[in-house]
Amino acid sequence: MAGSALRRLMAEYKQLTLNPPEGIIAGPINEENFFEWEALITGPEGTCFEGGVFPAKLIFPPDYPLSPPKMQFTCEMFHPNIYADGRVCISILHAPGDDPMGYESSAERWSPVQSVEKILLSVVSMLAEPNDESGANVDAAKMWREDRAEFNRIAERIVRKTLGIPTP
Amino acid sequence: MRAVGAILISLVLTTAVIGNAYYQKKQFYPSVVYITKSNPSMAVIYLQAFILVILMGKLMRKVFFGQLRAAEFEHLMERSWYAVTETCLAFTVFRDDFSPKFIALFTLLLFLKSFHWLAEDRVDYMERSPVISWLFHIRVLSLLLMLGFLDTHFVCHAYQSTVTKGASVQLVFGFEYAILLTIIVNILIKYALHTVDLNSENPWENKAVFLLYTELVMGFFKVLLYLAFVVIMVRIYTLPLFALRPMYYTMRAFKKAFNDVILSRRAIHNMNTLYPDATPEELAAADNVCIICREEMVTASKKLPCNHIFHTSCLRSWFQRQQTCPTCRLNILRTPTAPSHAPPPQPAAAPAAGGAAGPAPAGVAPPGLGMAPIPPGVNPFQPFGGPGPIWHMWQQAAAAAGQRAGDQQQQQQQPRQQQQQSSGSGSGGQSTSASGSGANAPSNQAGGASGGGAQPPQQPGTSTGSNVPVFCPFPFLPFMPPPPMPPANFAGLSLEELQRMEGHARENVEARLQCLRNIQLLLDASVTMMHQYSMVVQSTARMPPPSSPPQASTSANNTSSEPVPKPSVTPAETRHKFEKGDNLEGAAGPSINTTTTPTTTTTETGNSEASPVNDETREQQEIRRRRLQKFAQTSQTTE
Repeated sequence: MAGSALRRLMAEYKQLTLNPPEGIIAGPINEENFFEWEALITGPEGTCFEGGVFPAKLIFPPDYPLSPPKMQFTCEMFHPNIYADGRVCISILHAPGDDPMGYESSAERWSPVQSVEKILLSVVSMLAEPNDESGANVDAAKMWREDRAEFNRIAERIVRKTLGIPTP
Repeated sequence: MRAVGAILISLVLTTAVIGNAYYQKKQFYPSVVYITKSNPSMAVIYLQAFILVILMGKLMRKVFFGQLRAAEFEHLMERSWYAVTETCLAFTVFRDDFSPKFIALFTLLLFLKSFHWLAEDRVDYMERSPVISWLFHIRVLSLLLMLGFLDTHFVCHAYQSTVTKGASVQLVFGFEYAILLTIIVNILIKYALHTVDLNSENPWENKAVFLLYTELVMGFFKVLLYLAFVVIMVRIYTLPLFALRPMYYTMRAFKKAFNDVILSRRAIHNMNTLYPDATPEELAAADNVCIICREEMVTASKKLPCNHIFHTSCLRSWFQRQQTCPTCRLNILRTPTAPSHAPPPQPAAAPAAGGAAGPAPAGVAPPGLGMAPIPPGVNPFQPFGGPGPIWHMWQQAAAAAGQRAGDQQQQQQQPRQQQQQSSGSGSGGQSTSASGSGANAPSNQAGGASGGGAQPPQQPGTSTGSNVPVFCPFPFLPFMPPPPMPPANFAGLSLEELQRMEGHARENVEARLQCLRNIQLLLDASVTMMHQYSMVVQSTARMPPPSSPPQASTSANNTSSEPVPKPSVTPAETRHKFEKGDNLEGAAGPSINTTTTPTTTTTETGNSEASPVNDETREQQEIRRRRLQKFAQTSQTTE
């Protein structure tokens, strides 16, 4: 019997392949290593990220699901809750112990009940509704609050870039 | 490409050096002498040797590991950087021994070390790899055997050399290889565990526990080795700076392993004692999938107080990190498994024992009643895993006192007391669970016992929402705190209230502060009460001691279920507190004297006849009474 982390990841992969949630594709980059996944997330409709397809990388710890995975967008992103290097900052990805931003209640932190699917769905909703309270990217948070038009313009540029369409 | 270039260049250089020497000297021996005498030639030869060693290492790696994974390579680079730095530091200690042989030995050590690290990474990866081929097993086993053999050989060699030639740099090698040997043993054990697990059909639940203990034992050996090494080095040479970093990490790892083992044991213990196994019906009622590992629950599974069911092994590993339910985040340590809180809304007993105890035992009675001012609702110990022993003792004493009150007041005709009598005797039966009424009873009883002089400064009943008749004829305490609203028993706190106290938002902090303030008020109140007790004792000491009280309290003792020796211990404590109270607040005037006497005189008569006297306990009481007088005297003198 393989390790419990591996079995759980395999189960999740199977589940995601059989019943893929809308707008999300995810799976291991290489079937010999189930601890590194790639995910493609489509921008939620009706938001400034609509139409974009954003690739991201998920790195799972050896003790998954007791510890949360790490998620990082591999394309350029401009969003209040995404660091400049693409790392995603949402409470569901934080272990209950540490509180980097000092505002999250433990109820919304990682627990083994969460799954890849739930993480990706949370990321989709994060794209739709940024939380400008926790500024992983302060510039983006400021712009989101004060200059929405400019924010939308940058988002559109990023969407076009991910799709390979030249910016007008 | 660059590597190939470097190899080619060094090869060309070496050929040139050797060719040049041979061309000049024509013969073998003279050319060898020529090369060793010329520094540039030796530099080229050393370079060539270095490159050959690296090539050899690469070959060995190919044989034993095949392609390295990215993570392994990263790991290797990071660790070898540290290892090289530490080797350079070691050179400074042994600069007298500096020679090509010395460098060669260190290089070999570095190579063997890196193979140990790689082997460790590989074996760790076994658990995460979907396919384990036969090649993997053969490689790992042969590598481990070879490394183990080499380590043992070098340890023996170092030992022999140290014994025959005295302490030298061989000491460092011997020690380093001994450390490597423990690593090999550790890897072997892990490998065996993983292999057994891989070949079994069902997941092996205890594997994690075995791994933990392996880590602990091996960490212990390593710490011992490092300590011994540092001690020896300090005595013979100097402080081995190069060993400090690995020693620190080893100790940290050992501490972590130790903590893990403790947490794991606690989790296992909690699970075995607190939570019931899930029955097949319960499993069928739920959807039968453990949400932690997403597998069917056919093996052992546990049910938490919140009715969520998980695999025992999954829960154990989760509880090692977090003591919450994975699904609903209920804090399992704060939540008692049995629904123990049955808040008794009935009015608690009041001055029932007012007649039972005369003026003199007013100070004696508090042993059982010492806890009176602390309302049952507030139990600061509760969050740390259930009621503590002290709390239990208190509750039992309280219940007993309540019973006593009920029994003795049968002749008393005051309507209020009759009402309380029922609740008092009722609470006497349930010793711990009815802490609400049980503890309330004696608190008021204490008020009565001292003739009201020791009225509890606040009514505990307010917490449970009961309407205790306020028996407070003494407004002489201006500093008396207002009755706080203590949280009912933490176990009785609603989930909302608990959640309100978690987190870092302002309101949560405020909720916590409020809770702490309540506790502080209660503490203040108890200090006040202690102070009042002390004043009562003083006043009674000034009065001529009446003859009946000993009997009265004797009877109280008879009826109570408490062991007899206990009261004889507690006065010492109370006295201690009295003195403290005196120091804190300063003595208030003896005004109680006037107030205490009326009550006591009225109640005294009814009681002395009502209680049968026991010879043994009378003796005890006599001792107790004398001791009390002594306390009173000492407290007077200290003033």
